[in-house]
Amino acid sequence: MIELKNIGVQFSGRDILKDVSVMFNAGEIVGLVAPNGTGKSTLMNVIMNYINPISGKVILNDELEYTNKKNEVKMHQLVSMMPDQSDLYNQISGKEHLKIYSSMWNSNPKLIDSTIQELGMESYINKNTGTYSLGMRQRLCFAMQVVSDTQVMLMDEVMNGLDPTHVELISQILVKKKSEGKTVIVASHLLENLEKYADRIFFMKNGELILVNAISPGFEEREITTVRISEMTDSIKGEISKEFPETKVRSLPNGATLLDVRGYDSGELGNIVEFLKENQITEFSFGKVTLNDLYSMYYQEV
Amino acid sequence: MWAYFKFEFFQFIRNKKNIAIYVILLYFACYYALKIVPTYNPIEKVDVSEIEARYLPRAEFLKNVEIDKGTHYLTSYAVAIFSEWNEYDKARLDALKKHNMKEYAEATSKWYKYSDEMIFPDVMNVFYYNPGYYTYGNNYAKKDGHYAYLYSASRYKGYTEGKSNLSINVFEERTALQTLQRLLDSYLPLILIVSCILFTVDIVLKDRRNPTLLQGLPLSDWRKLIIKGLVSLLGSLIAIIPLSIGLLIIGGRNGFGAFDLPVPIYSFGKDLFSNILMWDYLVQNMLFIVFWFLFIISLLLLVSVLLKNEFVNLLVGSMFVIAEFIYFERGLGAVRNIQWYPTSYVQVGQVISGYRNYLYGSEALTFGSGLTVMGLCTCIFLFFTFLISNQKKFKLL
Repeated sequence: MIELKNIGVQFSGRDILKDVSVMFNAGEIVGLVAPNGTGKSTLMNVIMNYINPISGKVILNDELEYTNKKNEVKMHQLVSMMPDQSDLYNQISGKEHLKIYSSMWNSNPKLIDSTIQELGMESYINKNTGTYSLGMRQRLCFAMQVVSDTQVMLMDEVMNGLDPTHVELISQILVKKKSEGKTVIVASHLLENLEKYADRIFFMKNGELILVNAISPGFEEREITTVRISEMTDSIKGEISKEFPETKVRSLPNGATLLDVRGYDSGELGNIVEFLKENQITEFSFGKVTLNDLYSMYYQEV
Repeated sequence: MWAYFKFEFFQFIRNKKNIAIYVILLYFACYYALKIVPTYNPIEKVDVSEIEARYLPRAEFLKNVEIDKGTHYLTSYAVAIFSEWNEYDKARLDALKKHNMKEYAEATSKWYKYSDEMIFPDVMNVFYYNPGYYTYGNNYAKKDGHYAYLYSASRYKGYTEGKSNLSINVFEERTALQTLQRLLDSYLPLILIVSCILFTVDIVLKDRRNPTLLQGLPLSDWRKLIIKGLVSLLGSLIAIIPLSIGLLIIGGRNGFGAFDLPVPIYSFGKDLFSNILMWDYLVQNMLFIVFWFLFIISLLLLVSVLLKNEFVNLLVGSMFVIAEFIYFERGLGAVRNIQWYPTSYVQVGQVISGYRNYLYGSEALTFGSGLTVMGLCTCIFLFFTFLISNQKKFKLL
């Protein structure tokens, strides 16, 4: 597990991370969600000690901190960050990249072939990476981190450039890594995917890390808390408020409207369905608020 | 560490700039061997007509001259010295006629020694060294001739004492090993040092092109730097391979020479030469050049972590190569402690052969002092690099 204690980072006097304290546990997938430029990468760079925070510390397994270069090496043996696809060496093959990472972390060499197979890279892995497409490069970067086989894995925009099949494939591997007891921290804009696989999701705003559950209590629970209506006119919204004065109605910048039905019984939920049907509204769903909706609520202005 | 070394070395040999340097060195080596070597025209060559042109008039003079009370003192002087001088010239001519190289070497050694004894102290300027030294603008022609004659005397003496096969090519220092010796005495060390600079300027800073791939490797910055230095050292040593192609070509044409051929070494204090064997001379040069590589690599590692700019690396490295050309003056060693400047040792072959001491008028520039100064500087550069790279907040990239 890895703990961040009171981390503060400033660039040009602006707070990028403000007193961030959080614990990432072993055997969990943590999602980081935020618009570009809000500090996701900075947070990962602090965890890797690529950036020196102005305050706070990173603690690994309750004992290791970046107090000296010796500790840094020890921590990098256990914490890795997925490389950026633009940083690959174009003149050498994907397999060479994997071998380098495997030998640098002294991991099991068998992981190289098994990862190639898992990610379906056999057909191109021996070609120079200069010939790879964006998706192939992205898969290679992911594979490099897998073969490094570290306890904590940081991935910034891991799903970039991947088709849905490979997004799913990589997600499955992440779940497998989680089951092996690894801490996987993923920054991604594929919110539905994160929602599906992440154990905890954090939003970042104004330099702070906010657990999604704190914004929307019950987000992580499996119960009906929300009726989501894709499109609805303002007049119908007004009527709903009159008809169901106890129900909170929330309009999102993405056009959706959310009705808070937390604690409603089936009779009350039936009344709402009846009302929507009477007003010719057919596109609605029961469930909990989606990550997309929360993102829209939290980051997009109306 | 071994994995990182392999990774760095793999990058090094695939680096387009480095490949270009090896190709250029190979081109230079071939061009030198095929175009320049055949035009080599030593001042001190085996030239029968030159010996005859000197010997015959003097023999004629000695045969016909009559010495009496009225004879000019210079005529008497000529009679006194020409007899022995001509003896040596005659012995040289006879040896060449008999193709007896050993005898030629013996007579030539004596001839050079005797000639220098006659010419160097001659304040009346009636005798001169080979005209090849008296070139336009050379104010030190007599000193150059003095050095060359003593050098040749010692060299030929070495040939008589040694067991290696002698030939005209050996006498004129045209064989592959002797050409290498001549090159070490001139620009070859500079070429190797400049190659080392070019290999090293980007060895640290190239990683800025792949930061996310390399930053998180579980290896300390200090170790990374040391491994990079070792790779650069190995790469610089490999530069010898393309250059040796040129030597093979020369060897095929003029013979390879032998490792037990003599190489004269000058001692300033005694104004004397003593011979060492070719292999010894080459080993000393190699060791000295390796020290230069270590000096340059440690310097550029330090500049890389301090200033993080490849152009600055190139500038600083080049400064150390050209600095001596800026302050060099004949006789300067008598007034300045030039032996403490690492830059004074850039002409590696000349330092080992003692020629640099002869030019500086000093006895301080020696193989030992060179290794001490270069080694000390290398340790200082590495020490500071160690301190900087172990700073908690230091980032290599």
